[in-house]
Amino acid sequence: MSPLLEVQDATKVFGGVRAVDGCSFTVQGGTVTALVGPNGSGKTTLFNLITGYLPPDRGQVRFRGRDITGLDAGRLYRHGLSRTFQQARVFPHLSVQENLVAAGGYSWRQLFTRRVGRADRERAGRLLEEFRLAPVADLLASELSYGQRKLLEFAAVLMSEPSLVLLDEPTAGVNPVLVETMERHIRERHAAGITFLIVEHDMGFVMRLCDPVIVLDRGKQIAAGPPADVQANQLVLDAYLGS
Amino acid sequence: MKGVPGMARAVVFFALLASLPSFNLAHWVLNLLVFTLIYAVMSSAWNLVGGFTGYPSLGHAAFFGVGAYAVALWFKHHAITSGYEPFVVLPMIGLFAAVLGIPIAAIAMRTRFDVFAIVTITLLFVAQTLAFNLHGLTGGAQGISITVAPFPPATFERPYYYVLVALLGLAMGITFLTMRSKLGLSLAAVRADEDKARGIGVRVTGVKLLVFAVSVGLTAMVGAVWAYYESFIYPQFAIDPLITIAIVLMTFLGGRGTLWGPVLGAGILEGAQQLFAYWLGGSQVYLIAYAAVFLVIMLLLPRGILPTIQDRIRRRRRRGTVNAVAVPPALPRAEVTVGGGAA
Repeated sequence: MSPLLEVQDATKVFGGVRAVDGCSFTVQGGTVTALVGPNGSGKTTLFNLITGYLPPDRGQVRFRGRDITGLDAGRLYRHGLSRTFQQARVFPHLSVQENLVAAGGYSWRQLFTRRVGRADRERAGRLLEEFRLAPVADLLASELSYGQRKLLEFAAVLMSEPSLVLLDEPTAGVNPVLVETMERHIRERHAAGITFLIVEHDMGFVMRLCDPVIVLDRGKQIAAGPPADVQANQLVLDAYLGS
Repeated sequence: MKGVPGMARAVVFFALLASLPSFNLAHWVLNLLVFTLIYAVMSSAWNLVGGFTGYPSLGHAAFFGVGAYAVALWFKHHAITSGYEPFVVLPMIGLFAAVLGIPIAAIAMRTRFDVFAIVTITLLFVAQTLAFNLHGLTGGAQGISITVAPFPPATFERPYYYVLVALLGLAMGITFLTMRSKLGLSLAAVRADEDKARGIGVRVTGVKLLVFAVSVGLTAMVGAVWAYYESFIYPQFAIDPLITIAIVLMTFLGGRGTLWGPVLGAGILEGAQQLFAYWLGGSQVYLIAYAAVFLVIMLLLPRGILPTIQDRIRRRRRRGTVNAVAVPPALPRAEVTVGGGAA
């Protein structure tokens, strides 16, 4: 079976910095794959290259066997490739429910229908229940705690029924209870058939949840495999601790 | 539920507007109303781009000028007999300006915030320079005239007045429908965080271009009515930075991103300006009074009149509900039961 996501020789240079330097890896369908590495190893840039936020200088990205290099982020989203951001990015002046509905990935014709119709309320309502945001559905997103915003952002990208979700540090800045909540939501969604690619610094979280783990250093893949193997890999230890 | 009083408010407002001329108002009052309407329509139109989308266009006066020159040039070659012909071609002028606006927006809207403001004000000065220098087309600084309408002097302002009321209805209708549709939701997302919006499938570029085109189309139609009303246009008045500044101020004053805010702002500022000019005479004192009105309102209601009031009501209501229901206990309990079920 061909992999769900395939990155080949991706390169991105900012001035003198090679943020991503000839990086290649694959994400198999049905996995929860982790992308780890020290700060500045190019993880977020790589996310931006995959999701159409930045065009790569060189290399190719394939999703479900199709070349998607340089395609618009919105189009990728509507085709089932979603992402979240490191800093939970929600629309503060919209209600929690509207934040979800806004992420529906609409056709031009749908844009001229009701702002929040009955079908939207149902669709958003299921996610609100799942993420326990129903009691705050009518609050403005600016009134949520940071952790709740993280949950909201995650819930919103599920509106398009994606096949691959890229999460950029889903547990950064949230309390331990919410880390568990986040983990449970990922597991549930994974069981329901979604593939995840997760950038994360919380190694406990990665070891519990992810398989395989891909390690980046200076814009290149230096190791990949089951979490236990990667943890014992000398190159990885050198990258984190310095050789 | 919410739509009924809103609809009633709109019906009363437009019924009142439509009936005003039948009170035999003095010419200067009707003239004031015509100018207030001109600004109300333009502020409403600007609000689509500057309010809902968050792009502070300072170039709208260029499209006002496009409308003004379009009507003047068209009737250089076509006769005005009944007096209503210029109103009939208004939709064509609006469409022309909208189509003209698309490529301009496609370039200008690649920039954001202050840079967008500078790019669009540059557009305004480019348009004004063209109007001054394309003598063959615009008559340059000598200006260009339009046949004076053969309306009876006693009710001369009325046709313009009614057409402007209709345009205001159109602009507010478009605003209302935008707010109620997913288009409005998409624009709100663009305004809050455009890059994030792109990543969740919002058709960012498309909706931006669409509202810009509609907005400048409406603005051009107002310019055309204004030119016909004045029957003589000069470049410095047809494409005037002060028009741009006025509509931005009016929208901010009343409340951007709201249905009634721009209309309210136009009513207050244009009304105040004309009344002060009338009362305080030709000296520049009226400008100080005009600025004072603006400053006082901005001090008291910094986010504009309507949003500040809405905020206060919202906060008061929130306090009411928090006091009425003890919210916290409901949450943790729900978490325990549902979590237990899943495990």
